[in-house]
Amino acid sequence: MADGTQILRRNQPGSRAKDFCRWPDEPFEEMDSTLAVQQFIQQTIRRDPANLEAILKMPEAQDEGVWKYEHLRQFCMELNGLAVRLQSECKPETCTQMTATEQWIFLCAAHKTPKECPAIDYTRHTLDGAACLLNSNKYFPSRVSIKESSVAKLGSVCRRVYRIFSHAYFHHRAIFDAFEKETHLCKRFTYFVTKYSIISKEILILPKLDDETPIAQTIGESEA
Amino acid sequence: MDDSSVSHHNGGQVGSQIGVSVNNKQNEESSQSVQYSIPGILHFIQHEWARFELERSQWEVDRAEFEARIAFLQGQRKGQENLKNDLVRRIKMLEYALKQERAKFHKLKYGVELQQGDVRPPPEEPPTEPEPAEKAQWKQGRQLIKQYLQEIGYTDTILDVRSNRVRTLLGLNNEEQAEDPNYRNNDNKFRERCGDSPINSLIRKYDYGGKEQRKGGVSTGGGYNEEGLSVQETAAVFANFEFLANQEMDMDEIDDLDANKPHHAPPKQGEEVDNEAEEVLNVLNLLAESEADGGGQGDECPVGVVGGGVAAAAGGGEADEKPLALGELAQLTVSNEPEAYDVAGANKESFRKTWNAKYTLRSHFDGVRALAFHPTEAALVTASEDHTLKLWNLQRTVQAKKSAGLDVEPLYTFRAHTAPVLCLAMGLPRSEECFSGGLDGTIRVWNLPPPTADPYDPYDPAVQGPVLREHTDAVWSLACAHGRLLSASADGTARLWAPRAARPLLCTLRDDAITAPHAPAPAVAADFADGEAAAAVVYRDGTMLLYDLETTQSFLRIACDSPANRIRAHPTLPLLVSAHEDRHIRFWDLGSGRCAHAMVAHLDAVTGLALDPNGLFLLSGSHDCSVRLWNLDTKTCVQEITAHRKKFDESILDVAFHPLRPYIASAGADGLAKVFV
Ligand SMILES: [Zn+2]
Ligand SMILES: [Zn+2]
Repeated sequence: MADGTQILRRNQPGSRAKDFCRWPDEPFEEMDSTLAVQQFIQQTIRRDPANLEAILKMPEAQDEGVWKYEHLRQFCMELNGLAVRLQSECKPETCTQMTATEQWIFLCAAHKTPKECPAIDYTRHTLDGAACLLNSNKYFPSRVSIKESSVAKLGSVCRRVYRIFSHAYFHHRAIFDAFEKETHLCKRFTYFVTKYSIISKEILILPKLDDETPIAQTIGESEA
Repeated sequence: MDDSSVSHHNGGQVGSQIGVSVNNKQNEESSQSVQYSIPGILHFIQHEWARFELERSQWEVDRAEFEARIAFLQGQRKGQENLKNDLVRRIKMLEYALKQERAKFHKLKYGVELQQGDVRPPPEEPPTEPEPAEKAQWKQGRQLIKQYLQEIGYTDTILDVRSNRVRTLLGLNNEEQAEDPNYRNNDNKFRERCGDSPINSLIRKYDYGGKEQRKGGVSTGGGYNEEGLSVQETAAVFANFEFLANQEMDMDEIDDLDANKPHHAPPKQGEEVDNEAEEVLNVLNLLAESEADGGGQGDECPVGVVGGGVAAAAGGGEADEKPLALGELAQLTVSNEPEAYDVAGANKESFRKTWNAKYTLRSHFDGVRALAFHPTEAALVTASEDHTLKLWNLQRTVQAKKSAGLDVEPLYTFRAHTAPVLCLAMGLPRSEECFSGGLDGTIRVWNLPPPTADPYDPYDPAVQGPVLREHTDAVWSLACAHGRLLSASADGTARLWAPRAARPLLCTLRDDAITAPHAPAPAVAADFADGEAAAAVVYRDGTMLLYDLETTQSFLRIACDSPANRIRAHPTLPLLVSAHEDRHIRFWDLGSGRCAHAMVAHLDAVTGLALDPNGLFLLSGSHDCSVRLWNLDTKTCVQEITAHRKKFDESILDVAFHPLRPYIASAGADGLAKVFV
């Protein structure tokens, strides 16, 4: 108010849905918050969720551990959207186990002893567990610098999260496609884990998604 | 903007207004000058009065701030002293422990009974408080150690057991150890309980502390683990000490060795358990237990402006790191000194309670937009831009530990909204339900899982209740009273609901003054007023309307200078309180519709507002990162708490009082919620 010239990047209560977070981009160098990386990632996604290259282009001099960590937070957060859709269709009666292809049954690691949770529970437990781990004050006390040992924990979260995509793809294709069309999340995730070699390529069982560029191939090779 | 011009010299403004340059106020008031017209003078006086009022309220805010600042500094000083004393005591203690160990070591190594009674402190380690009679002091120290160990439940026997173990390690005396099977048993038992001897535990624990501190720039002798301990052993026991560190927050450090209950043994810590693929999530179960351990309270802001001070001092990105490094020590200072902050109250007699941060609720991936306490239990629900709501039981983890600042793991995650969740309301006591409104335009009814639920239970679709879909745009505010729900939406309407009825929509409240071609201003917030007979609705354009809920007609229209972000009805008085974008909190007389009081309450937009159940105190939150507690009677700030960090230009998004228990809470754009006790 006092300074009409200055842009206030906030959602005033009463904002219409279409205006939510619709403010001019802020250059990354000018972000001085401890949440700058999250701000930057969300801002880039909002601009164009399909532009994977832009979204995953790390700013110069950025700590790579934090960069990966913040992206994984964003993935888990957006995966809530897929979980919501799955809740309506993925029932414990029909999807009694967490499977993708019939090759593997995945055990849910959220329990004291790993358990054969139904797919929907696996999905929820994995996301809840990831939320706890990624917000753990023990492993991730700071969002501006992360211990190498904590960065190493991101890999197993990624592997489990990927199973959610693959279950949806092989068992709830309509849901998967609708979600993917809107968010490009699985494509982004695949690009992410390949670019940073977080998951080995053999585990990435989904076929390349309707895309002219074979993501896994090209990226994987250029990075390797 | 007027606020900033308050400091201008009066004369300048008068001159421009009345066309004459007059510097002396008395001159105008006596109005001898012919150029003055009565209305002009009245206007001027009115203007001046308003400005003085404004100035006055600003001074009050400033005063409250300075008082809080003084209290903070006093508390900090006392805290520092305590910290110093504590550290000195630790150093002494460790020195004694070290000496004792050395004596034993020496005895064992050379097989001589030498110096057992009169080991002098080694010259390179002079006592921290040198006294002439070193021997007496050493004895005193030994006495102290003994006393500590006795408190723990380990007497001299254990020390002897320890020496036996050392001998075994050195391969010196198989014969002696065989003599007394009792010792052996004790030894095993002890190893089970503690993983190691008390002395070594102490030393390593201290070493661990030293490491943490060095990170934070404070160096306290970290070389203790050279005292005959293998590195692997040390590493293996670290997990143990992490929780030890946690345990000791509110008590003497050695005392908590007795907290080494078997269930805390290292294998259960789980962090080293490497089970091919499943290791990480297995740990999650234990996180609630172990999370607070890793150096403790991290970016917690234990009291009042403490957090602000620390954050400001540390600056920018490093803010996380610094308090973390201090961890438990920082905690010590604060928990020792709660009463120091009482000065913060401008009104000491009436309100001595000072709120301290106790729980940090971290699990949301994005800003927390709203929170609401359970009507009776020590539980609350948070709603976030990450599309989820989470249920937290504050007592769930308390029993597990006795430290002062706790992280709580959510009990349940509610998923159904397809966009950020913006607002929240709790149902009646015993209804075990809550309501949420989202950017997706829906209002959802939720059946709360019991406080005993496990976060990793199977999914129960019955948690989701009815969905109210009549709003056509984001729902920004919910209020619940006696089973009726009042919502305000960016679609320009407020609606009254009976959420579980077959036809849940009872009525729609629209501003009739706005006719067809014009889109109505978005409704920002609404609350029941006048004993639930009326609804107060504030709009983005600054209008406030009071609707009769019988007729659904508006009967009072108030125009505010600045749009309100929140509106709350006083629980007992005919009074409305509104929080505004222009940093003000305004009080409205429900009968006359007049502004009863206005005050600059924060340094930035006021975003959150809550009244305590008795209507004596007001809690406000703002994008200036602070939560302020106000005495409603005197309209003075009794406490300020810096609670959250900024994301873009947003900080605190909501505040709440528990209806029955002494809890307050704040929700922030940084994805955290904090509960104060
Ligand atoms: Zn399924
Ligand atoms: Zn499970």
